[in-house]
Amino acid sequence: RPALTQEQLLGVTTASTFVLDQPRCTFKDFGNAVIWLVVALEKDASNFNNSAGPGTPETAFQSFPGTVRAYMTLNATLDSYPCPKPAGDITVLRVGSETSCAEDESRPTCNGPLPGPGPYRVKFLALEGSVPVAETEWSMPITLRTAKSPSSIPTAGSGHSAGMIAITTILSILLAILLAALVAMLVFCGSDSCGSSTFSKPESVTVRRYNTHHVYDQRADRL
Amino acid sequence: MAKSDDCVHILQGLLVFGNVVIGMCGIALTAECIYIVSNPHDASPLLKATENSDIHAAAWIGIFVGLALFALSILGIIAVIKASRTLLLVYIILMLITFAFEMASSITAATHQDSLTPNVFLKQMLERYQKSESNNNSDNEVTKTWDELMRQNHCCGVNGPSDWQEYTSAFRRTHSDADYPWPRACCVLDAKGLPVNLDGCKLGVSGYYNSNGCYDAISGPVNTHAWGVAWFGFAILCWTFCVLLGTMFYWSGIEY
Repeated sequence: RPALTQEQLLGVTTASTFVLDQPRCTFKDFGNAVIWLVVALEKDASNFNNSAGPGTPETAFQSFPGTVRAYMTLNATLDSYPCPKPAGDITVLRVGSETSCAEDESRPTCNGPLPGPGPYRVKFLALEGSVPVAETEWSMPITLRTAKSPSSIPTAGSGHSAGMIAITTILSILLAILLAALVAMLVFCGSDSCGSSTFSKPESVTVRRYNTHHVYDQRADRL
Repeated sequence: MAKSDDCVHILQGLLVFGNVVIGMCGIALTAECIYIVSNPHDASPLLKATENSDIHAAAWIGIFVGLALFALSILGIIAVIKASRTLLLVYIILMLITFAFEMASSITAATHQDSLTPNVFLKQMLERYQKSESNNNSDNEVTKTWDELMRQNHCCGVNGPSDWQEYTSAFRRTHSDADYPWPRACCVLDAKGLPVNLDGCKLGVSGYYNSNGCYDAISGPVNTHAWGVAWFGFAILCWTFCVLLGTMFYWSGIEY
């Protein structure tokens, strides 16, 4: 059954496209058939009639999903899907890649971008002429991505880092200590009650007493 | 007497040494902040567009604080040697004012670093990149900056190309999802600036598109600058705290 590709691609599903694995080695005996991809909304998949022809107004892409319940696109012959698949090749089908014909009514088999997130179901149908000769099962439901609005992104401050909190608290404490020390210094020592003789100014001169002449004079008087 | 003379001389020597270090750090802070202010890096239009200029304010304050620290350290050296109470008091009070300003600068730089989360840039990018109907000059700057950023750093979006898929955007309004799941600048480009493999890029085949986000390229230089201002300022202030306490002790011991 068809499935989303297992390859590691970032664009496996986008908002309007999805990527399937190619149906390699699936339709082995139908060399003359043309293989079509049928895309339908999940709820309409079981109502699809295999005898609906591609390229008719009943299966035109441009009227999907309004009047058309399932459209047919991506036609290819079996030569495009050689079996076995060479190892290392990326063999995928991108559903929804043709934007140029999305509005063009003259191209009803356009592989246009899907109009909504789905969910969709797809299957491959092999037609010889207009006679269905083989088909795969319907795939599991495929849901596309829905985009949110950027206004839903929260940009409010995500809180403060540990570094910023550390800087703020430590600096506030240091400043508080300095201011307290300044106040204490001015209150206790402002009026000169701290000035002790421990630190002396370099210019201050200690007055020493000179007694020498005085003693000499006294002795001269006695003599 | 001799012992307390030695104590005085040791204290004076320490204070002079402390002030010399403060002076040199002041010059270094000024130089660092001049470098930050005059050296815009590649993503600065994005920063300007976030209207968050805290780091500039912090850097400008840092320039003047650095010069003030240098001048005050010279005043401090003279005041300590002359043991003049008035000069020392003037020195202490002016240093406290400078301390307060540098504290503001340091905290602002640290806060700025916190506020530049990836979401801020993500929202800005989604709302303004390739905004078509805008005559706003800053929107064109945002677009040009993002294109340059994505080409030069080989990155896409803020967290990765899936940003363009998870959210609608101004870009999405003018570029269909099928043709442009993400901007062309996210593709691996050849020498002429064209995608090497356009289908591979649209599918998301690794090797043909840039899978990394650009947040690291944006926030790296900014964070380094903010870190420098915040933590160097913090270190200077811790040292200044010790010198000021020593100066206050010295002041209280001087004869009037």
